[in-house]
Amino acid sequence: MGTNLIEIENIKKELASDLKKSSSLEGIDMLKTKYLGKQGKINILFKTLPIKTDPKLGKKINDLKDLIQTKLSEQLTTILTSDNKMSFDVSIPGTPMPRGSLHLISQAIEEIENIFVSLGFVRRRYPEVDTDWYYAEGLNIPKGHPARDDQETFYLDDNIVLTAHTSNGQLHEMELKKTPPIKMINIGKTYRRQIDTTHTPMFHQFEGLVIDKDINITHLLGVTEYFAKSYFGQDRHTRLRPHHFQFTEPSFEIDITCGVCSGSGMVEKTPCKVCKSGWLELGGAGMVHPNVIKNGGFNPEECSGFAFGWGVERVLMMKTGIPDIRLIYSDDIRFLNQF
Amino acid sequence: MDIIITDSALRKFLDTTADAEVISKHVSLCGPTFDRIKKVPNDYIFEIEAITNRVDTACSLGVARETAAILTQFNLPAKLINDPYKDVPKFPDGFPIKFHFSIEENLVVRFVAISMENINVKPSPKDTQTLLEHTGQRSLNNCIDVTNEITLFYGLPCHVFDLDKLAAQKLIIRESNKGETITTLDEEKNKLPGGDIVIEDGSGRLVDLCGIMGGQVAEIDDHTKNILLIVPIYDPQKIRKTSLSLQKRTVAAQLYEKQPDPELCLPVISKAVQLLKERADGDISSDIYDYYPNQRAPKLISLDFNWLNRFVGIDIDKNNAITSLASLGFGGTIEKDHLICSVPSWRYHDINIKEDIAEEVARIYGYFRLPSILPCVNLPSESTNLLLSTENKIKNYLSAVGFHETYNSSLISLDMIEKNDLNPDTHLKLKNALSRDFEYLRSSLVPSGLENLKHNIGRTSDKFLTFEISNVYRRVSGQTLPSEISNLAIISTEDYRNTKGRLESLFEHLHLVDTAFLPGKNSPAFYDEKCTAEIHSQNTLVGHVGYIKPTVLRKYGFQPTLTVIELDLPKLTTKILPQSTFTPISEYPLVIEDLTINSKKLIGDIIEKIKNTTTLIKDVEYLNSYGTKHTFKVSFGSFEKNLEQNEVNNLKEIIQKQFTV
Ligand SMILES: [Zn+2]
Repeated sequence: MGTNLIEIENIKKELASDLKKSSSLEGIDMLKTKYLGKQGKINILFKTLPIKTDPKLGKKINDLKDLIQTKLSEQLTTILTSDNKMSFDVSIPGTPMPRGSLHLISQAIEEIENIFVSLGFVRRRYPEVDTDWYYAEGLNIPKGHPARDDQETFYLDDNIVLTAHTSNGQLHEMELKKTPPIKMINIGKTYRRQIDTTHTPMFHQFEGLVIDKDINITHLLGVTEYFAKSYFGQDRHTRLRPHHFQFTEPSFEIDITCGVCSGSGMVEKTPCKVCKSGWLELGGAGMVHPNVIKNGGFNPEECSGFAFGWGVERVLMMKTGIPDIRLIYSDDIRFLNQF
Repeated sequence: MDIIITDSALRKFLDTTADAEVISKHVSLCGPTFDRIKKVPNDYIFEIEAITNRVDTACSLGVARETAAILTQFNLPAKLINDPYKDVPKFPDGFPIKFHFSIEENLVVRFVAISMENINVKPSPKDTQTLLEHTGQRSLNNCIDVTNEITLFYGLPCHVFDLDKLAAQKLIIRESNKGETITTLDEEKNKLPGGDIVIEDGSGRLVDLCGIMGGQVAEIDDHTKNILLIVPIYDPQKIRKTSLSLQKRTVAAQLYEKQPDPELCLPVISKAVQLLKERADGDISSDIYDYYPNQRAPKLISLDFNWLNRFVGIDIDKNNAITSLASLGFGGTIEKDHLICSVPSWRYHDINIKEDIAEEVARIYGYFRLPSILPCVNLPSESTNLLLSTENKIKNYLSAVGFHETYNSSLISLDMIEKNDLNPDTHLKLKNALSRDFEYLRSSLVPSGLENLKHNIGRTSDKFLTFEISNVYRRVSGQTLPSEISNLAIISTEDYRNTKGRLESLFEHLHLVDTAFLPGKNSPAFYDEKCTAEIHSQNTLVGHVGYIKPTVLRKYGFQPTLTVIELDLPKLTTKILPQSTFTPISEYPLVIEDLTINSKKLIGDIIEKIKNTTTLIKDVEYLNSYGTKHTFKVSFGSFEKNLEQNEVNNLKEIIQKQFTV
């Protein structure tokens, strides 16, 4: 009996001296095995107890076990919280990870697509090189019409053009669907024989088309306003002005309030340099001309629709303030890397 | 068409208390747009955009009519005054001079002429001079100025000749012959393309380049006493053609090609005669000459009020609609729910269908007063467009792992094609290129990518990694249209192995299955064939990856290593698994061992062979090579149990045996 009690006291002493020597995590793990493991001192102590023994002694060994656990755990906490990472410099530069960039036009297209998809439009892609029928004749622009000799269209031959607008998609979509309803957004490359600060020979347009029974002018206003607010900001407003296009009747020019002067037309008592009296031109729109509906194979007596075709680069420039469209097409990595 | 008029010129036809600012603000919303308004002493100058099919608004009269109709809707008092259509002008007859012109068919819609005598040529009154100056014109003399002022007011050009300078009083209006010449009032000698409308004075001399500019021969001068005044309307297409081919875009030409109203000819000549009497002391010296071969029947269009409401989207008061139309000059009779509209003569060409009438009602009512409503369209659901979604996935992936996206023009130069050893004859060429830089449609994205690299030399010390996704265009025999194929091109200054590794990660990201890189045959001409692979997926060729060949590199002055990938995305998209499938994961740990194989086979083939040895081989990773000795890291594993070391050793032996010759 006495030997066990002496043994308990010995273990306590040994632990105290072991703890002094162990200042690492590995050391603590070793002590844990030494005292509390399967073949540890506590287990051996339990095994050496006679079968009939004083329950007080059993309790003493359990107390010893608790003590060892507490001491080891305290020592572990001390080690983990000790300031052994001598100087930790938070300002050390991170290891650079490769990062590329998504082009501004792709970002704009993705944003535009998401806005219209959220309204239930289906994304489409139609030919960028097309026949005269889809580009002009079928869009109510007969041969000999002044809109034909605009000098701004690229031709491959007399019948094949590089489209200067995405409206050819209207006829293609009607042919695809064969019957109303239609609700599509066609985004693609378009071409025009022009180069200056607002024109490049190649640019991008997005064309919306909605055809169904009883589609009316207020619906065009609704979609326009929704796009303008989603893309440019909730504080922006739109207006329609009368205009003329061959493939819509009536036709409109859509304006949006200027972001620079908040639509007032004035910046610090001088006229705003960006807009015309507080308004910026977004682009053209209109109610689809009955002849175009007919040419698409639909009956204009049974359905009506609206369409719009706006420039991706144009809305991008309006939103970001990039002053020259040619900058958007820069391939300077230092420019691309900004986005 | 942009026109300039003044506030005072507008008020010749408009009676209103509204000031210039109010007018410009309101009319822009419903009619022609007032782009700019400028204050000058005692007046305002308006820059107005007349919509292209509304030639009737390209003058004071037309803007005044629109303004009167629009201001009324805003409850501002406004009235059209001095309407030339109101009174039928009367001309005296019985003069000794009676003109009989010879006019070829189909050149003239209407031709009205009269002569005057006792003309006293002198400067115009101060008011007229100021008006012309404000509208960007030069005051010349009282006679010429009258014609310019009349155009400004009524939008109809007219012209005066010195009658005594014409060889005969019998003018011939005909088409020009190719090569005929006429010196116009701007002192330019014009060689005519042929088919232009001209006036000959009977002696073979051309005296007028009709609808564009008068000839110098019969110009008014200080000694002019007798004049011939004409108010013609010509065939619009002929005028446009001549004007464009001679690059003379005069106001007259722009008006004529938009088909002004022939009913305005008599009121206008009457007004001109009156002004010439007042300002040049002239007297009429001939009967009025009026050639008007095809008088037009009035146009009637039926408007269903119920349809109008459905089309505009709100209920518009019937009376309001009728009032708006009447203020624009439309007549009408009501039949039940229909209005039978008669179209005014000055709107003959732009009003054709009921939608045109709806536009008039809706715009005068005010588009800004209409509510914004999102349409509810029951569109049947459609499956996702895989090509478009794959393009987006590729763009987002590549741009996140270090590649910069570029956008290049689809139009490229002959030089770019030739530098890449491509064949210009297989490219589509523009018939009317803007410049030689943009002449051909590209059939590969790589030449543009190489240009991008060239432009960036010295701009960055880093490696160059770019990509572009765009259509390429290829002629297809037997097909009218070229095919437009969405391609992905990657330009990389990293070596083949690194670039291929990046591509393989992309393929995994896309779930593209069963891919293989095979030695390239017939690769595009810019590739170094020995160092180029065909990329296959499920036995279909989807693109190439390889080095640009040294001769091409040399032309650009590039460093030796340049890896280029070009993929056909529609083909690749068809090989993508529609959705990722679940593969169970083994509970038992892998045993990973290095293995060196001595073989002269391609590394890809060796890996394939190792993998095919047994299903217990889960992965083979290539480490390095020394001569024909290649080291791999092989992972062994089983779904049923822990593999024992002796089993793994056995498998390694089996693998090795396959490579002993
Ligand atoms: Zn502004």
